[in-house]
Amino acid sequence: MNQLRWDPTLGEWVAYATHRQDRTFLPPKEYCPLDPTRPGGFPTEVPRPSYDIVVFENKFPSFTPDAPETVGGYDGLTPAAPGRGVCEVVLYSDDHYSTLATMPEGRIRNLVEVWADRYEELGALPFVEYVFVFENKGEAIGVTLHHPHGQIYAYPFVPPRPKKELEAARRHREESGNCLHCDLLAGELDDGRRVVVEGEHFVAFVPFYAHFPYEAHVYARRCAPSISDLDAPERLDLARVLKKLLVGYDNLFGFSLPYMMVMHQAPTDGGDHDGVAHFHIEFYPPNRTGDKLKYLAGSETGAGAYVVDVLPEDTAKTLREAVEGAGR
Amino acid sequence: MQDEPAMKKERETKEDGRYIIFFSFESGEEEKAPSGEDEG
Repeated sequence: MNQLRWDPTLGEWVAYATHRQDRTFLPPKEYCPLDPTRPGGFPTEVPRPSYDIVVFENKFPSFTPDAPETVGGYDGLTPAAPGRGVCEVVLYSDDHYSTLATMPEGRIRNLVEVWADRYEELGALPFVEYVFVFENKGEAIGVTLHHPHGQIYAYPFVPPRPKKELEAARRHREESGNCLHCDLLAGELDDGRRVVVEGEHFVAFVPFYAHFPYEAHVYARRCAPSISDLDAPERLDLARVLKKLLVGYDNLFGFSLPYMMVMHQAPTDGGDHDGVAHFHIEFYPPNRTGDKLKYLAGSETGAGAYVVDVLPEDTAKTLREAVEGAGR
Repeated sequence: MQDEPAMKKERETKEDGRYIIFFSFESGEEEKAPSGEDEG
């Protein structure tokens, strides 16, 4: 059952997908459903003996294109709606043990092409208002499958966090005439203390207002609304900057760092988002040290107020050194 | 590495009706990076 229920106290939708309780949870490597189907082996999600990059519909989707109409009993203050959308799984490689950080830059470049393809195709569906590309990596984040993969949720609404960001960017545009993200990036480059990787077309930095100790944002230098708007040199540079940042993350504490990776870009709701939406990727690693995690506890979850134990200037310096150390 | 890899896209339908798309590229990745054995 896929259903949306409106929370009138926060003004946002909550998605219910009850069948997800039964999804595959940390299977042994020999039964990974995201591996290719080897000759004589058990049938996986991918019916080929090898593959490059694969996208398929999630077996346990949070949203489906054919979600049934909601019947009776939900109206007034608390309306409900069909959980109509698309959930895809993106397999980065058929190598079970690889990660985005260990992949060659060329494979990441190809992945950028696939992400852009999915943004365009899913965003063209009439019921999709926002294409959200993301990756949860590591058991600390709650991943249920270790195989290198990301996900895409094509939502029937603009989700709360991107919506709040877009509203702030629109206000800034109206007040200053400028793109909020372009101004933020200019400020970070001018200051320099929080910049981690500088590419020709992309920049990775720990934002002045980071919510996680080692949070990093990867901004396009040009005000491109979506990944689809990036030209070939920009896509190549995005792969280069991502590779450097990710290798630096793994070099930070000497292990493959867990993280959430999310893409923020223009909604596909038919609105005008030029000069407001600015394509960027945000990383939220949960580690505050090698053996301690930052939990979203009472203040963060109940009040929405993040408390961080370390300044972004300090973590950016450590992360920059990890990137530079990995490059030697 | 070329700026624009030539992407091939093959769409198939799985036995349960879900789609699966195979992407392959003529240029781009040639070398194989070592796997992170500690990730599994």
